[in-house]
Amino acid sequence: MRTRIITAEQREKAFASTKKPQVIEKQRLDVRYHVEDYEVEDRPRRFLEAFAAILKHTNYRFALEHFIRISTKCSRCAVQCPVYQATGDAHDIPCYRSELLLSVYRRHFTIAGSLRGRLLGTGHLTDEKIEEMADSFWNCTACRRCTMECPSGIDHALITHLGRFILSEIGIAPRALVVSTREQLEGATANTSAIPLPALKDTLEFLEEDMKEETGIDIDFPLDVEGVEYLFTPAVSDFLMEAETLMGIAAVFKATGGSWTISTKYYDAINYGLFYSDRMLERIIRKLYAESERLNTPNILIGECGHASRSAKYYVPVHCGGENAKPVLNIMEYTLKMLENGKLKLKPDTITDRVTYHDPCNIARQGWIVEQPRKIIRAFCSDFVEMTPRGTENICCGGGGGTVSIDEIRPYRTAVGGKAKADQIRATGAKYLIAPCANCKKQLRELVEDQKIDCEVVGLHDLIYKAIDYKGSYAGLSATQEKG
Amino acid sequence: METLLEFAKGPLFRLTFLVMVLGLIRIVVLDVWGAIAAYRRAGDKQLAWGTAIRNTLQWLFPVRRVFTQRPVYSLFSILFHVGLIIVPIFLLAHVQLWESGAGVSWWTLPHVWADVLTLTTIGFALALLLGRLFDGGARFLSRKQDYIWPILLMLPFITGYLCANAGMRPSFYQLLMLVHILSGELIFVLIPFTKIAHCVLMPFSQFIIALAWKFPARVDDKICTTLNKKGAPV
Repeated sequence: MRTRIITAEQREKAFASTKKPQVIEKQRLDVRYHVEDYEVEDRPRRFLEAFAAILKHTNYRFALEHFIRISTKCSRCAVQCPVYQATGDAHDIPCYRSELLLSVYRRHFTIAGSLRGRLLGTGHLTDEKIEEMADSFWNCTACRRCTMECPSGIDHALITHLGRFILSEIGIAPRALVVSTREQLEGATANTSAIPLPALKDTLEFLEEDMKEETGIDIDFPLDVEGVEYLFTPAVSDFLMEAETLMGIAAVFKATGGSWTISTKYYDAINYGLFYSDRMLERIIRKLYAESERLNTPNILIGECGHASRSAKYYVPVHCGGENAKPVLNIMEYTLKMLENGKLKLKPDTITDRVTYHDPCNIARQGWIVEQPRKIIRAFCSDFVEMTPRGTENICCGGGGGTVSIDEIRPYRTAVGGKAKADQIRATGAKYLIAPCANCKKQLRELVEDQKIDCEVVGLHDLIYKAIDYKGSYAGLSATQEKG
Repeated sequence: METLLEFAKGPLFRLTFLVMVLGLIRIVVLDVWGAIAAYRRAGDKQLAWGTAIRNTLQWLFPVRRVFTQRPVYSLFSILFHVGLIIVPIFLLAHVQLWESGAGVSWWTLPHVWADVLTLTTIGFALALLLGRLFDGGARFLSRKQDYIWPILLMLPFITGYLCANAGMRPSFYQLLMLVHILSGELIFVLIPFTKIAHCVLMPFSQFIIALAWKFPARVDDKICTTLNKKGAPV
């Protein structure tokens, strides 16, 4: 077993805080992810069966064929990988990570490879290789910067995505993700944080009272209204941890006279399937879509969450009818549209402290949401500075790809995965770090704490909430009572 | 020696060139065929064509990419490719052979430029090989073929340069020429079956990765059935 960058001390500290150390202790990986104990001898066979089944029913095969022919091992991807840059361990070079799976494909699923392997009696899949894959694929934060830097055009992120999918089929996936997804798909609360409906209603009522007190305006969270324009689903953790983001969003809707609703049956946009299993990805997307059908809303609107937005935007069309599927928007697109058509007025220079913006990989990498938030920020912040690189080439917060949900590896995330980001944040000297993504926010808060950076991590709508000019906006609201 | 040289120039050249062309056609057809099948199965057929085309052009003519990351390596790599592609195709002596053998001809490279590009190609191939040997990350990734290729590619360039420029005994000239031709023909044969296949596959990459993220619709059931997982809990 190779040595990792995490020191034994850090690891001990990390595991001391886990809920079920006895289960984790049984497993052998340095960074422990297994959902359950496994029969060691049987794993290669099950891995290959799962691989074969996935190749049979999906579209991965043609891409793998292309990748095994074209890979030149130039190592250019190494310069873009924040994990490799932090660890300096060659096992973390994206191309090496991809080769782990490509070599299995070449050996067991191509004629030449299997002939060669049988003649020489080498290269077959072993337990150690599976273990190395499990280790390696979950070191990646799925930020997809390596893909942009590969001259041959090998999509290392796609290969890691597939590798995790196959591993999950034989029971190797982070416990945190599987438990959450199980609750979301099969549990009584139907959301990843297991928030029961009464608790949700309580929270929303409480927030409504708060907003009334702060703004003097009756801002509400409409529940289960049929036939409205937008079905709004945030990452469910926002209801507990990012109340101010939700207040900002509700305030924007109120000020612009938007027609929207939150479903009471399904109020979670989180889709961990994107991180570990295409099958779960599909189930969650279909569940979300069914809810928009039930409430008869023509649009699906996702809150400040990178992976939820990406999975809905790109996989609602895949699983729910191609170009005829309902459009999916991110909340920032809505807010910008309202700002541009004049329905939303923001008070200029509301925030005078220095502000910087973190691009969540999942919405920025493909160039979908890059300029929208910046236009909004410039409308009410007087000192906005950029990080370099930014936009489509941004650096990951270090908690991407589902790793942020795994509390056990916090030292890894803040010392290794997020190191490059920490340097970037420090260089801006910003007071507020805007990160419109539940995943990034959690990671970045832990990052600024562990790396001792003096900076407050907020959502975009947290700040917008302070800047709305209710009177000047479309709905023309004015306070019905004095501010409390 | 002369019969050997004639054989290498004639039948062997035709055979190896044919192997290369057919081999490259085969992998391109397989690639495109696979992509079309994947497109048919994709649940969502809206591709970001513009982005894919832009990325493809950016990597085929990587002018903008040079100085963003690893500038020295990038520049060396690009200059290496320039000579590698241009010299064999546009060298006067090669074009004359095509003209006498097949009756076709095209623009040729001035002699001085051919020499300069030959030397730069050899130099940059050597530099890239050394880079691979001394860069920890690259060395870790490298397979046998990654070291063999730069050497093999240098061989026809070195022998070709000597034949064109150095005065020598005729028998030695013939020997060098034989090495020149045979190494070139070995390269022809190997191209479609090794990583050098990227010379024809690269333009397809960006389209393939854009398409690969477009999964087929509703495969959950099918995979569950194949793996006997129907009704199993998450």
